[in-house]
Amino acid sequence: MVDNNYQPTAKEACLFLSEYAAWLLGCGATCIRIEKNVQRMSEAWNVVSEMMIMPSYVQITVRNDEKECDDFHSYSVVKKTYRCGISFNINTRLSKLSWDIADGKCGFDDARTRLDEITHTAPTNRWVVLLLASLANMSFCRLFNGDAVSMLIVFIATLMGYRLKQILLSKKCDVRVTFFCSAFVSSVIGAGGYIFGWGATPDIAIGTSVLYLVPGIPYINSVSDMIDGHYICAFGRFIDAALLTAALSTGLCGGMLVMGLKWL
Amino acid sequence: MLINILQDGFFAAIAAIGFASISNPPRKAYAYCALIAAVGHSIRFILMNNPVMHVHIIIASTVAAFFIGLLAVWLAPHAKCPAETCFFPALLPMIPGMYAYRTIGALLLCLAHQDEAPFLHYLHLLAYNGFTCVFIILGMVVGAMIPIFIFKKISFQATR
Repeated sequence: MVDNNYQPTAKEACLFLSEYAAWLLGCGATCIRIEKNVQRMSEAWNVVSEMMIMPSYVQITVRNDEKECDDFHSYSVVKKTYRCGISFNINTRLSKLSWDIADGKCGFDDARTRLDEITHTAPTNRWVVLLLASLANMSFCRLFNGDAVSMLIVFIATLMGYRLKQILLSKKCDVRVTFFCSAFVSSVIGAGGYIFGWGATPDIAIGTSVLYLVPGIPYINSVSDMIDGHYICAFGRFIDAALLTAALSTGLCGGMLVMGLKWL
Repeated sequence: MLINILQDGFFAAIAAIGFASISNPPRKAYAYCALIAAVGHSIRFILMNNPVMHVHIIIASTVAAFFIGLLAVWLAPHAKCPAETCFFPALLPMIPGMYAYRTIGALLLCLAHQDEAPFLHYLHLLAYNGFTCVFIILGMVVGAMIPIFIFKKISFQATR
């Protein structure tokens, strides 16, 4: 029988919450969500927690509620973020876990097992992502008024570029180098419309061929943190996104240069 | 006109699903992302391409994002996902990617030209694309966040 009423000590709670917050930050949750979820769980465990969120570290201090207990303890942990890549799946399940703890549906030991389980969630099948991302970029070309031939060019350019991104990232290549290489390959293929005179809208084909690399979620997260007053985190996420954008633009620029096309 | 609007919504939905899949959403969120993105993008399309008045892309994106936020708050409890799981991917088709990389491209060309006239031309492109990009993203997120903050209770309890 699992004891659902077990109240963790400040130390146990702190270790759990720091692990939790590091995963939540790593999977691309906004600061307001991290704060709210951690707050919710500490209230359920009758501890007081304060946290500091930095771009790649979280610091969290937990103490027991002075009024309710005689032996006052406080415990503090600094934890490096897990770089697991953006995952809304992990985000959703971690949020669900925090509510289950707050509503008393999940005891402390149970919560630890579930946290461990959630962090081992498998990412979406990479072939499915490859296909969906290529289709998405193809529709993007259509949204910018590209014709059918341009759409096909963009589809193939994305397929190649995205597959290269997957391969390089799985070989632990630096993410900025990866973005540069993928953008280069995609733009060289995307330039096919110009070189062979295919389709009526070659400019749109090459322009949209690298759009799948634009880090949209970090940009959105950054503004959302800024609205919330987490300026350091907002700035960190913005720089992250801006560097990736710079890498992909340089790749695109290089691709166009190699193919002898005028940029802008 | 109606066909154009529907087409815009349809392709925005595919784009949202594909770009969402890169950031590993829960499986049940896909349908909601697609729906929200389709509505949001068509609203922006209507605002920017109607015969009555042409709305600037920044304002149009903000208004469209506001509706995306409203829909997300309403649908998130049904999807049992945090509101941002539904609406962040839905905002992705409106991210001004072209403005973003044109900004960097203009910067590189600025560095490549010493003469005043071409330098100023690319500086102009740099500022124009950069400002537009930053303000579209700012407007989008602010627009989408307003409903989230108004209905704070619903949006943060969606996974309960």
